[in-house]
Amino acid sequence: MMADQYDVIVVGAGNGGLLAAATAAKLGKKVLVLEQHNLPGGAASSFVRGRFEFETALHELAAYGPKDNPQPVQQIFHWLGIDLEMHEIPGVYRYIITGEDGFDIALPNGREAVIAAIERAVPGSKAAVSTLFDYGEQCLAAIDMLQAGKSMAEIGQAYPVFVKYATRSYQEVMTELGIPKKAQQMLDAYWCYIGIPSDEFEFPYFAEMLVTYVEHGAYAPQKRSHQLTSALVKSIQEHGGKVWFNAEVEQILTKAGRATGVRVGGQEIRAKAVISNALPTTVFGKLLTEEAVPARARQLENARQRGTSGFLVYLGLNKSAEELGIKDYSVFISSTGDSREQFERQKTIADNDFMIMNCLNLAVPNCSPAGTAILYATQLYADGTWDQVQPGDYQAMKEEIARRVINEYEAATGITIHDAIEEIEIAAPATFARYMHTPNGDIYGYYGAPWDQTMGRLTTLGQDAQPLPHLFFCGGGSYMMDGYSSAYFSGYTVAKLACAQIDKEGESND
Amino acid sequence: MTKMTTLADLASARQAKIAAAGTELPAASYPMNELAQALHPASQHLVIEEVIDHGPAARSFVLAPDPSRGTSQLAPFQPGQYLSVRLRIGASYLTRPYAIRSTPKEAAAGHYVLTVKLVENGVATPYMWDHWQVGTPVTTSAPGGELFYEPLRDARQLVAIAGGSGITPFYSTAAAILDGSLDAELTILYGSRKADQVLLGEELATIAAKTPKVKLVNVLSEEERPGFAHGLIDAALIKRFAPAGDYSVFISGPTAMDRFVTKELAQLDLRPGRVRHELTGNTARPDHFAGYPLANADQTFSLTVHTRGQVVTIPARASESLLITLERGGIVAPAMCRSGVCSVCRSQLLDGTVFIPKELDHRRAADADFGYVNPCVTYPTSDLTLAVPVPDYALEFE
Repeated sequence: MMADQYDVIVVGAGNGGLLAAATAAKLGKKVLVLEQHNLPGGAASSFVRGRFEFETALHELAAYGPKDNPQPVQQIFHWLGIDLEMHEIPGVYRYIITGEDGFDIALPNGREAVIAAIERAVPGSKAAVSTLFDYGEQCLAAIDMLQAGKSMAEIGQAYPVFVKYATRSYQEVMTELGIPKKAQQMLDAYWCYIGIPSDEFEFPYFAEMLVTYVEHGAYAPQKRSHQLTSALVKSIQEHGGKVWFNAEVEQILTKAGRATGVRVGGQEIRAKAVISNALPTTVFGKLLTEEAVPARARQLENARQRGTSGFLVYLGLNKSAEELGIKDYSVFISSTGDSREQFERQKTIADNDFMIMNCLNLAVPNCSPAGTAILYATQLYADGTWDQVQPGDYQAMKEEIARRVINEYEAATGITIHDAIEEIEIAAPATFARYMHTPNGDIYGYYGAPWDQTMGRLTTLGQDAQPLPHLFFCGGGSYMMDGYSSAYFSGYTVAKLACAQIDKEGESND
Repeated sequence: MTKMTTLADLASARQAKIAAAGTELPAASYPMNELAQALHPASQHLVIEEVIDHGPAARSFVLAPDPSRGTSQLAPFQPGQYLSVRLRIGASYLTRPYAIRSTPKEAAAGHYVLTVKLVENGVATPYMWDHWQVGTPVTTSAPGGELFYEPLRDARQLVAIAGGSGITPFYSTAAAILDGSLDAELTILYGSRKADQVLLGEELATIAAKTPKVKLVNVLSEEERPGFAHGLIDAALIKRFAPAGDYSVFISGPTAMDRFVTKELAQLDLRPGRVRHELTGNTARPDHFAGYPLANADQTFSLTVHTRGQVVTIPARASESLLITLERGGIVAPAMCRSGVCSVCRSQLLDGTVFIPKELDHRRAADADFGYVNPCVTYPTSDLTLAVPVPDYALEFE
């Protein structure tokens, strides 16, 4: 039998794949990463236009924490030998609802400050919102226990709230706590980070996310996501791993129902384990032979819905944030405060008016030259929304929506930006399909239907972690949802799982 | 779906969902992937349909899709964008960016036109003169480049400054304005030494005669003639012909002209972003840039190249970019703009020292920190080792 050239081959250098490869290399495994693009990171990247280097994807890195109180992501980075200059993001978010019963609220950092800000806007909400934070803190601690491999019984004993609300929606629990509707809306803007409206977003995850951002803060790297991903590549290489760019995997090889390697550029390369950062949709639809895909994997794939894609407008402005009057890093804007309605509207091009505008200079002061600012607007579009767009109409369509997004921001904030545009780039679903090769330009993995969010995925992890022996998934298509920290955790966990299995099988073969 | 009240309920609801689903395989491609492929194909397989001579030193090549090799439609583009043409000449694989001279409407109808000036003692153009005939297969990239009118960013009045074959992106822009697909106004300042070196002069004059939105000024530096402006394209000349009010300046031509015009434009106090360039590979020798560290650029170093686990060592002339060295060495290096802008050739410098002219260094900040370079504008100043990401289109050279 042909010898394995590698212990682990990682397919795709997105955040999950990079972390998986770095973890396996750190654990002493011989690792090869294959990335189809000429850059690491997938969506997590950067690009240069004129005097500006734009952030492509990151809004706020969660679970990083300050230097003196490192949270899990920073702890993992340190373990990998990575120490980067990171900036704490000021404020939680500003949320502007322009329609009827609208509001304009800026949430500052810190639990008590947020509770007080909401109490001022919605008198009488304080006690219930405080309880929400109590519950969120318990969920955060419970999820940490879960990550550490504790049993549900132990977790239930320590944090009964987690088990009690594990399968309830965030909105349902907020209602049960007696949080007034307007205050609920003020507290559910983060639905868009995962793409699930709050009436079907699992409570523990949402509450944990809220607490993480509000109490532990969020971070951004000095030199965009490309700095994070380059540091991860360096860590992989320093631990003996190889990273090949412009190397699109053509096939995942199998033998007797087990993954045995890949074919890339016509070359077959063997490995003891294959970890795919490419989504199962891609692996099952393109990379495995038909007979190699087990029935269970096909059914799981077919039961799921594809996640959302994005529309981003990157703006390099020839005025500083101060000159423009921009005071908030993140501004969420919509005409309706109802996340279900916001979610439904992202299934249409015409009515989707939910957007985020970020001003990177508020978090990373020297990210662009003096007297300039970097802004980027983000919208989500549900899978299929852009399917009818023709190549000849695409450019005009991008321009039209970009113009609309800029107008919406100007109208909601009273800040004029359109006459200060020095550089602009627009990314639409086809852009993500182009650079990431994800199915239909998906950026979030699978949609989190109530049965297919993190809690649900964990319930069958034992069964689904390896759809066929020696093939693992990390990133948005794995057991966690989308997002940088989730991708990092899944890459880390899955790599450890794969490495432990390699070690165990190595012993039994000896 | 049944109400899930416990994790056990959730688990069984999940299992039921999965069990109820079919076993067909997912599709291999989806509408956005098809759209991305139509807009940005990795390769376009074309065939030369017509060759048009413009005097002894310039030719237009009319390219059509070649369905027999898998291309049935041309990728749309913005007037001003280029194609990177892939050539295999002897043992070398090389690319050249040429602006598309025709319009997006013509591309939709199945044609791109490239108009090329013969470079005496050049590598690519003499080869094209000898080998490119009707029926010759040609492989190119998708359209690329940033020298196009972006209404959310640029002034609606454009001043295009061109030298030599740098006129081609503006020909496309002018023709798109004439055919109504581009809503902008264009003043072309086209510099040539003598009248007989003006490329596409009559054709451009015809466009300008048909629409008041396109104005053409031919500027001759070595000859005085009626109907032509005389001198260099300096601040005074630009001021004389530029429209009133806000305008954007696009520059396309050789480095010497680009540098001169850029310096002159500084006197006009245009706001940042109002001046945009494209060098399309016309960069000068490294020792013509400020800060060049070697006393002598006429020496040769040794370049060790890592590609997907293979290692080769080739000679590297200090005076040539690493990209040219790779091409000379028979390595298929990815490339597009050849001017340091697009980062398609991004490679990892594993060992050794290099010189990158500051004005051509458009790298991501982290790339500079972590030792990645764009070989097209990087010059060796020692023996060195480079990891080059050979592209999957490596075999798609003609």
